[in-house]
Amino acid sequence: MTSPTPTVVNEYEADVVVTAVTRPAEDVVEVTMAHPDGLALPGWTPGAHIDLVLDHDTVRQYSLCGSPADPSALKVAVLLAPDTRGGSKRVHELTPGATVRIRGPRNHFPLVSAPRYLFVAGGIGITPLLPMIEEADAAGADWHLHYGGRTRSSMAYLDRLEQYGDRVTVVPQDEAGLLDLATILGSPDDRTLVYCCGPEPLLQAVEERCASWPSGALHLERFSPKAVEREGADTAFELVLQRSGITTTVPEDKSVLQAMRDAGVSVLASCMEGTCGTCETEVVEGEIDHRDSVLDPDEQESGEVMMVCVSRCRGARLVLDA
Amino acid sequence: MRISTVPTSPADTTAQPRRRCVDVPHNAWYAAATSDEVGRAPLSRRMLGNRVVVYRTVAGDAVALEDRCAHRPVPLSSGRLEGDDIVAGYTGFRYAPDGRCVAVPTQANVPIGARVRAFPVHDDGSFVWVWTGDPNLARLRPPPQAPWLQDPEWVTFGDSWVTQAPLRLLLDNFSDITHVAHVRPEVAPPALVAGPMPPLEVTVSETGMSFARQYPPVPVPAWQAPMLGVPADEAYPQREEGEFLSPGLWVDRWHADTPEGRASFVFTHALTPVDETSTRHVWRVSRNFADSSAATGTLTPLMDGYYRAVREALEDMQRIVSEDGPRADVLVAADAAAVQVRRIMDRLVADETGTR
Ligand code: FES
Repeated sequence: MTSPTPTVVNEYEADVVVTAVTRPAEDVVEVTMAHPDGLALPGWTPGAHIDLVLDHDTVRQYSLCGSPADPSALKVAVLLAPDTRGGSKRVHELTPGATVRIRGPRNHFPLVSAPRYLFVAGGIGITPLLPMIEEADAAGADWHLHYGGRTRSSMAYLDRLEQYGDRVTVVPQDEAGLLDLATILGSPDDRTLVYCCGPEPLLQAVEERCASWPSGALHLERFSPKAVEREGADTAFELVLQRSGITTTVPEDKSVLQAMRDAGVSVLASCMEGTCGTCETEVVEGEIDHRDSVLDPDEQESGEVMMVCVSRCRGARLVLDA
Repeated sequence: MRISTVPTSPADTTAQPRRRCVDVPHNAWYAAATSDEVGRAPLSRRMLGNRVVVYRTVAGDAVALEDRCAHRPVPLSSGRLEGDDIVAGYTGFRYAPDGRCVAVPTQANVPIGARVRAFPVHDDGSFVWVWTGDPNLARLRPPPQAPWLQDPEWVTFGDSWVTQAPLRLLLDNFSDITHVAHVRPEVAPPALVAGPMPPLEVTVSETGMSFARQYPPVPVPAWQAPMLGVPADEAYPQREEGEFLSPGLWVDRWHADTPEGRASFVFTHALTPVDETSTRHVWRVSRNFADSSAATGTLTPLMDGYYRAVREALEDMQRIVSEDGPRADVLVAADAAAVQVRRIMDRLVADETGTR
C-alpha cells in the first residue's frame, strides 16, 4: 500500500481537575472541571458534549450544561443510571481535586438561529438545553421549555429555570402526568425550531409528532443508538479516499472506519456506535446505507455526509473526502 | 391638554445594513484595531461590511459606534470628541458612548429614539476587539486571548495592512505553511525542505483547531543561528505549531530545542474581514530569545518580506477567483488542518444564519 503524507487527526484531549461537585437533584451530580494550570479550556457552543474518559474502555458522552461565557470551566450533570457498564457510577464517585480525562468538546446538536424555539426536555435531558435557553433568551427569541420528569425532586435545575417565569412549564409525572405532546407540538410552524433531549421513548414520541412539521424543524440529541433496520447481509465494496489518493476495499465484516484506518488514514472516532457524530465524513459519491443516530432523515437523505463507524455503502463504490 | 410626543414606534435609526460577508461568522470578536491605535481621535474602520468608528472616553475606555450619523449619512469619524461623546462633523449631532443621540444643534429636544449602533467592545491591551453580530450574544462568547503580546518575556515587532483577499483565503494560507519554501526560500527553516515531512498532527475541538509537526534534528535557518549563538550547521529538533483560536485570531509557533533550552517564535495574526474581498491583517512576531534591537533589525525585513510575498500570492488568488469564478480546490492529506477550519467556519456561519 502506498503511504500518504501521514496526517493524524485527533480531538482535543486533556486531564482536567474536578473543582466542584454538587447535587442539583436526586441521583444527579453536577461536576465542574477546570484546566489544572488555570488555562482556558476549548470554546464550545450550546448543545455541545464532551467525552469523559473514565478508563480505557469506559468513555461516556455528557452534554455541557454550564455557560460558554466561562472559558475556565466545563460542567456536566450526570444521572446515576442502572448502567451495566458503570459509567455514571464512576462519575458519581468523583470528588473535588480528582483528575479526569476529557475529550472534545464536539457538537451535533447546535442551536441554529431562529425567531422561536420549543424546547422539550425529559429528565436529565435538560442539560444540553440549559445553555441553549441562556442563548435563546439573550438573543431575544420567543421560546418555551416543556420539562417533564418523574417527580419534582428528581428534576435538576428547577431553581435555575425559575428566573424565566412562565416561559417554563414544569411537568412532574406524579403530579401532572406525561408531557402533553399533542398540544405542545400540535401546530407546526415554519418559524419555530424544536429541540428535544431525553429518554428514548420521549425522543420517539417527539419524532412522530414532528412528522407533520417542516423538515429540519426538529433537532434531537441521542446518547444511545436507536434501533436500525438492517436490509440483508452486509456486503463488500470499493472505497476511494479522494484527498489521500487511496483506493481500498471494505470487506463485509469490517466498518468503513476500520478500512480507512487500515489504509493508514487517520479518522476521528469516539463512540463507535453511531451516536456521537465524531466520525462524520463527507461523501463525494456513493449511495449510503445510514445506520447512525445522529443525522436527521433529511441529512441522511441528502447523502452529503456519513458516520463511518456504522454506516455502509449500498452500491459497489464509495468515494469519501478523506 | 398635553399631547404625548412619544411615537408608538420610533423610527429605527439603527436598522441593520443589508447582510454582508455571508461566509464568515458575525457572532465573533474581530480586532478593529490594535490598542495603541485607538485614542482620543476618532478612527474609522470597516469590519464585515460595517462602518465602525473607534475612540476612547476620557477615562480611557474603548468605544465602537456605527460610523454614520443618524441624521445624514456622514461619518461620525469626520467630527470630533467632546468629553466621552462624539459629534458628527457635518450635522453636529452628538452621540454618547452607548450610541444614543444626546444633542442636536437646531433644537432643545433630541428626536425620540435617535441613535447609532453601539458595538460590544473589549480592549485587552493588545487589540480592541469589536463584535458586529447580535450584540446580546457577545457576553456569551469570550474574546480570544494573546497574552504573550503583553508579556515582558517576549520581544515583539510587526506591522499591519489590508490584504485584497477574503478571510477564508487567509485561513487556508495559515493552515498550511509548507508554501514558505516556495514563497521565500531564504526565510524557510531548513526543516521544511530537508526531507520527508514528519506527520502532521491535527487536534480539533468544536470551535478550535491546532496542528503540529515535530521535525527531527536539522540546522536552524542561517539567519537564526547567530541569534541563538549556535553553529549554523548543528542540528536541533524543531517543532512547528499552528492554531485557529477564533475566526479572527490565528497563531503559529516555531520552536528550536537547543542545549540552551527552547527558543520560540510566536507569530500572531489578527484577521478582520473588511468586506467580501479584503481582510485587515495585523501580524506580530514575538520571540523569547535574542532580545536585542540588532536581532529585531535582522528579523524585520525577513518577516516583512515574507508576509508581503504571502499577501501578493493571496491577492493573485483572489484576482483569479474574481475574474474567472471560484472552483473547488483539489485537496491533499496535508490540507487536514484547512479542512477542519473550513468545517468550523461553515458550521458557525450556518448556525447563526439559520440555514443548517
Ligand atoms: S464514532 Fe461516534 S458516530 Fe461514529
